[in-house]
Amino acid sequence: MAHAHSTRIQEFIGDPVSDSPAVGREQLEEIFQDIQKDIRFDHELNGCLNCGICTATCPAAHYYDFSPREIVQLLWTENLEGIYDAMQEKIWACAQCYTCAARCPFDNSPGGLVMLMREAAIKHGMESAKNVLRPFSRVMLKLISTGNQLSPDMINADGFPDWGPNISKVDAPLKILRKAIPMPTLNTTETAWEVNLTTSVELYTIWEETGVLDQLETIDENLYDVILDIMDEKREDLEDWEEEQADEDDD
Amino acid sequence: MSTGNDNSGERFTGHGPEWRDANLSPAEAQKATAWVEQVINKRSMEVNKDRVEDVRDAMWELEKDGEIVVHRITDQHAPRTAKTIYGWDKKVPTNQLWHHKSCGQCGNIPGYPASLLWLMNEMDISYLDETDQTSCTAWNYHGSGIGNIVSLAAVFLRNFHQAYVSAKAQGLPEGHFYPLVHCGTSFGNYKEVRAYLLHSAELREKVTKILAKLGRLVDGKLLIPEEIVHYSEWVHMMRNDIAERQTIDVSNIRATIHPACHVYKMVPQDAIYDDNILGGNRVAVSTGIMESLGTQVIDYSTWYDCCGFGFRHIISEREFTRSFSIDRKIKVAVEEAKADVMIGHDTGCITTLDKNQWIGKAAGKDYNLPVLADVQFAALACGAHPYKIVQSHWHASATETLMEKMGIDWQAKKVEFENYLKEVEAGKFESLYDPRLAITSGPGYKPVKQLANG
Repeated sequence: MAHAHSTRIQEFIGDPVSDSPAVGREQLEEIFQDIQKDIRFDHELNGCLNCGICTATCPAAHYYDFSPREIVQLLWTENLEGIYDAMQEKIWACAQCYTCAARCPFDNSPGGLVMLMREAAIKHGMESAKNVLRPFSRVMLKLISTGNQLSPDMINADGFPDWGPNISKVDAPLKILRKAIPMPTLNTTETAWEVNLTTSVELYTIWEETGVLDQLETIDENLYDVILDIMDEKREDLEDWEEEQADEDDD
Repeated sequence: MSTGNDNSGERFTGHGPEWRDANLSPAEAQKATAWVEQVINKRSMEVNKDRVEDVRDAMWELEKDGEIVVHRITDQHAPRTAKTIYGWDKKVPTNQLWHHKSCGQCGNIPGYPASLLWLMNEMDISYLDETDQTSCTAWNYHGSGIGNIVSLAAVFLRNFHQAYVSAKAQGLPEGHFYPLVHCGTSFGNYKEVRAYLLHSAELREKVTKILAKLGRLVDGKLLIPEEIVHYSEWVHMMRNDIAERQTIDVSNIRATIHPACHVYKMVPQDAIYDDNILGGNRVAVSTGIMESLGTQVIDYSTWYDCCGFGFRHIISEREFTRSFSIDRKIKVAVEEAKADVMIGHDTGCITTLDKNQWIGKAAGKDYNLPVLADVQFAALACGAHPYKIVQSHWHASATETLMEKMGIDWQAKKVEFENYLKEVEAGKFESLYDPRLAITSGPGYKPVKQLANG
């Protein structure tokens, strides 16, 4: 039966009963080339006899339709359709423990290869990557704008209801509890430790220079805009401070 | 092996329709698979590879060729030598240390770094904890894929360069402090990145441009540390010195160790092993200090498993994280090893194993196993305050039952801490070090001469 409009799933992965491919050969090749041209690719893929030690030891394989052996095989045999298919969901199951890499007799790193595929999924703006990373945006905002991955104020009973009703067993305001940590760098609530302004601007320069902001724009344009605003402000603050220092030196 | 279960011919094994059950008895199945148990999870499984190289050889070559500068571990760092899995030497600096903090520890388990610094104070170890450090960004990278080898390498080089120059703020020479990495993922990630940097001229060229822009080259060259050192390695090398300061007998404590994947499975050739610690079959760190303190370290069948952290999963797919941590780690430690505590040496593992137990009650899995970092347990055994220093109130697991077994009156200590909080609210602040040292440049920095004058 013909449908006038394709469904959301069909837009992502194509029509399972149709002969026509989900994406064109050219795009499949482009995706594979992106994975393959990373300097890590040849180091992390050295051959595979399908022994399955990696899958036997994989924590994600206990709970998901995921097999590191399959990932290695798809890349080793250059199965472009299979690679594209695995990038829709399977690669996001990997727990990144690298047990597979430690055990592989060929010294492959299935976990490392998964990272190359995740990077490619982001570069190509795959909807699956956007969806899977949506709950991660708070972490990315924190990391990219401050230089810290997470902060005390992110961990609360609303955000982590399965961690129990009390984040701290001593009942006191977060600010006081943090001030009672005997490390001055940790008397913070909005960052895990106090990050110097120059430090976070340096990190931001790294993000700019290495294409990380482009990745972010592809995945979440709104988040990208917010981060740009925050960092513009930080740069201005730093410039103001530097000017003040120069004036003081002149005096 | 045979399961002996009647599953009406239904198979989920993925072996195809030609697969037939061997119908072995449990005893026969045990005999047939015994060889697996001889090698599985053992050191021999890790050391049977052909393509293993000591990446430090490439580092010395590059230094000889004038391409890089190596931040050396010298006598001032009071190094001690450990053996890694292949019997190679690894120098572990034990003094003049720059604390490369962990965002997860500082944000979530602050007693972890505080215990480490407290132990260093007890042993007159010199260190610097400062604000000019970023996260390694690897948690985010492994969780999201946002980032790349160039960004990871640039962050590594930036932070380690800062460690190298940090002492200048105190009027001391470059290289005075040596970086000590707190987080297992930072440790594993930095070691991976170091290997790629040493092998790829293309990567070196890319990051040199970035580091030049940041003003973070040494004589126009990249700075590479001689060793990348995890805090658990420092604890391991100092284990007997720590045990000398022990005030609490812990010989009645049954401890299970959860080693961190990114500490010993990532770049496994750099992990420390010791033939006298669990037969040399397990990474030595954490087990070493727990044995030195006199606890009973109990091996268990899922020792090799990860904790279930998953980087992305702990944030946005926690059903995997909590199922894996409870069923594969906590349950086994309690039921099989009869453990009093599970000890770890990494941020994500401690968080996962500690925080995810509470929800187990909903599924009748109320195991109540205390979870601490090795260094927190060591600090407790040496008399550190369970709340002011070890900050045990941030732990969701039942640390109180462990303290009771150690003979610590945690209720009295908790009251002390609650009273201390009132003083904090009134403006009191106790610090493990001079707070003015924490800012070494940029806004808030006061030069050394001003510092000396107070």
